[in-house]
Amino acid sequence: MEVAEVAHAPRGHIHPPPVGFVQKFIFSQDHKVIAVQYFITCGVFFVLSGLLAELVRAQLMKPDNNLLTVSTFNEAYSIHGSMMVWLVVIPLVTGAFGNLVMPLQIGARDVAFPWLNMFSFWLFPPAGLIMLSSFLVGAPEAGWMEYPPISLGPPFGTTLWAIAVALIGISSTITGINFLVTIIKMRAPGMTFTRMPLFVWATAVTAFLSFIATANLTAALLALLMERTFGVPFYDPARGGSPVLWQHVFWFYSHPAVYIMIMPAFGIISEVICTFSRRPIFGYKAIAYSSVAIGLLSFMVWAHHMFTSGLAPWVQLPFMILTMVIAIPTGIKIFSWVTTLWAGNIHLSTPMLFALGFLSTFTFGGITGIFLASVPVDVHEHATYFVVAHLHYVAFGGVAMGSLAGLYYWWPKMTGRLMSERLGKLHFWLTFISFNCTFLPMHWVGLLGMPRRVATYDPAFTTDNQFISISAFVLGASFLIMFYNMAQSLIKGRAAGQNPWGARTLEWMIPSPPPYYNFDDIPVVLSGPYSYGNPLPYREIKADLSYTPTY
Amino acid sequence: MWVRFPPSARIETKSTAGTNIRPRMDGDRRGTPRLMSPRQQEHSLDAGFWRATFVLGAISALGMWGVVVFPIDKFLPNVSNVGSDIDWLFKFMAFFSVPIIVFVNGYVVYFAIRYRNRSAATAADTGSSIHDHPQLEFWWSVLPAALMLALGLLSYRVIPKYYAAAAVAQTSSITMEAIGYQWGFEFRYPGLDQPVQDELHLPVGVPILLDVTSKDVLHSFWMPEMRLKQDMVPGLVIPISFTPTTIGTYRIICTEFCGLGHSEMRSNGRAGRNPRVIVQSRDDYDAWYASEQKQQAAAANVVLTAQVIAAGDASAGAQLFSTKCTVCHNAAPFDQRKVGPGLGDLFHDAAHPDLVDGRPATPMDVAMIIKNGFHGDMGVMPDMQSNSLTTKEIADLVAYLETSPGK
Repeated sequence: MEVAEVAHAPRGHIHPPPVGFVQKFIFSQDHKVIAVQYFITCGVFFVLSGLLAELVRAQLMKPDNNLLTVSTFNEAYSIHGSMMVWLVVIPLVTGAFGNLVMPLQIGARDVAFPWLNMFSFWLFPPAGLIMLSSFLVGAPEAGWMEYPPISLGPPFGTTLWAIAVALIGISSTITGINFLVTIIKMRAPGMTFTRMPLFVWATAVTAFLSFIATANLTAALLALLMERTFGVPFYDPARGGSPVLWQHVFWFYSHPAVYIMIMPAFGIISEVICTFSRRPIFGYKAIAYSSVAIGLLSFMVWAHHMFTSGLAPWVQLPFMILTMVIAIPTGIKIFSWVTTLWAGNIHLSTPMLFALGFLSTFTFGGITGIFLASVPVDVHEHATYFVVAHLHYVAFGGVAMGSLAGLYYWWPKMTGRLMSERLGKLHFWLTFISFNCTFLPMHWVGLLGMPRRVATYDPAFTTDNQFISISAFVLGASFLIMFYNMAQSLIKGRAAGQNPWGARTLEWMIPSPPPYYNFDDIPVVLSGPYSYGNPLPYREIKADLSYTPTY
Repeated sequence: MWVRFPPSARIETKSTAGTNIRPRMDGDRRGTPRLMSPRQQEHSLDAGFWRATFVLGAISALGMWGVVVFPIDKFLPNVSNVGSDIDWLFKFMAFFSVPIIVFVNGYVVYFAIRYRNRSAATAADTGSSIHDHPQLEFWWSVLPAALMLALGLLSYRVIPKYYAAAAVAQTSSITMEAIGYQWGFEFRYPGLDQPVQDELHLPVGVPILLDVTSKDVLHSFWMPEMRLKQDMVPGLVIPISFTPTTIGTYRIICTEFCGLGHSEMRSNGRAGRNPRVIVQSRDDYDAWYASEQKQQAAAANVVLTAQVIAAGDASAGAQLFSTKCTVCHNAAPFDQRKVGPGLGDLFHDAAHPDLVDGRPATPMDVAMIIKNGFHGDMGVMPDMQSNSLTTKEIADLVAYLETSPGK
């Protein structure tokens, strides 16, 4: 018995697994446990901020509704946006998916700095609580962008909001550094950059963006805090500050942040589409390098959020052109994914359905993004419901669709259990249809003259808004199916086995859920991960390399 | 129709690096993996594919035709010279977006149906092994790039049309000023001392130079029918230029969040305000201008005296209070604040601090605060110009407050 254990013991410098509940599940330094902590925390915040969105839509059922006071309405949409961006999406796609998948995919036993990883997670729930507690003293009301000078005045919650966002920013920066070092230094032997799975490419670019861009947000927030608390005039024009300064610094972070959010979703889509088409991904290098191109370009387009702020035309020109240039690498990705489907051996499992849904909705959101990139057209559309529609087509239709694909895809790896395919498909169709019903008409009301961030509106838009609101309620309800599916899977789901999807990346070469040290022996990688039909390109994998897809 | 995939398509060869791997194929111990035969790969560009492509092409053509025959100005009138350029750009983009959306969605659906494997997956199931096609990838990079370049240049040509302050100033243009405040718009006209609330009167066909600014926080001045929007930035005066082309009354909407009244800062807002653009014939404009000038001169002669205040009409004041003041104040006791304090019993409320010179407020004091605004510990209140109150109206309001409406 003891001999057998020694034979299976992992080689190399390792520590024994932690004992005790607190070490194991609370202050864990294991990337997989931290990932689950992120998933749960993001899930809680997702439900809360989703409910705020439903409140917003409930208020907009009638043009002159008095369901919420104007002040409560403003709080609801401001915290909805802030929570979705900083407490749901960014921690979810970096902290949750990155932690769960990236170290496994590069054949590492953990991230480079496990303690920092734990520290970075534990900045996140307190930041969330601080942001939520702003409701007790009057939550911020000026939207998630908090443009001064209005954000310099009451309510006091804006101060708490700024502290919370700064904490999240620090957490995000730390995670970025951690992931970047992990990907550069800790890949398994033989895993060259061009043999990395595409999700790892995406995570590398995301980590770079988090690392470089987030510091700007922290600086902007510190300035805001100093102005609010000590009266240092950075932004107040009455005292010599500049409100446009905030817009520059804020968007210098927040545009790269858009790609921090969508880039991991791109990675997930590459993995899922490839797995369920059972063929090599089309244009591996094109997809990988286009991620890098998008990452670099994302730093040079921030002022396209400010085309009506009064910038000189010659300043607007490069921002317009560079924004349009981003469409090219993005298009390359989309066309490559569609071509991967061509002559594939396609299995329409739940993750695959969400990935195909992503192709549809994200393409639409990308196209409306080009409309907004054209300065004169943006002059008409800026800050209307057209923008609300566009941003939700990329944020929900892109990031959320991608994350849902990833969640259904990696759930068996994370929990060792399968989810119900029937309920998963029902969730997909309800979500996909109600999503489009919610956000497609918003383009229209925006073009015809409905501004964003209003609690009451022109009665001419009543029917459209009622349709939108009812669709939004269905959209919210569709997630109940997902939560029920998850609970059912955890209680009585079938065991997933090592590789239920028949995928070829390294995380599927080890048991589900992965053991404490992931790999008994660090695998040796012989070629890229996607050559379906060829032998698996790994050595030193102890587990059985055979697999039986269970779908 | 059989079409060979071009020879430049790269086909994955058997793993070169994995020579020393155990000779086992993807877990399928008995058979070799089912690579697509060259014949199967040819079939991928077969009649079915071209049929699907043709159908998608037809749908795209229909959509593009729709974009041309139903341009946006069929649904939202376009009444400025810049508007038609912007609508044209919108149409240009929509025209080329339709085929991209149709083909991406269409191929996704077609491939998902055509290549769907309904049986349970096995390890041996594989699709095509083609993983690159440089020609295809070249074209789908270059064509969008060309389209983007064209769009960029076409867009850039339009910008100088509404940011043409210098050029327009040399024509027979009129320079006006649009000022945003919490929560309304006022407009200054050349030769008029006082700003005009809510109404932007424009003579049709005359180039307008509009200096856009704000008194307090950010606002954004949107005229949807003109397709023009400019942020109102406190401390900056940003000139935009345009020529109204059609007589009529059009909307003005604030699109930058500016506080509690933001939702109402638009045409037909609930608070009783109705900012709007009124495009008139030159004669009508001149007539309006003359009458406004006369009115302003008359109003300037009424001085706020104790007699004028004493003659205030409380019931008219009640009406005014409900439209002009209730955004910030209510007729409740002093400590029940909205934005500002409750004014229910302003003159007798023991809780009301002394605002002026350490003595209880007199009607004249209150009238002066309404006229000149207030800036102190309790908050900030805009002045009479922002409230667009005449001297008579101030007297009415004071009369109303003297009735202690909260009691």
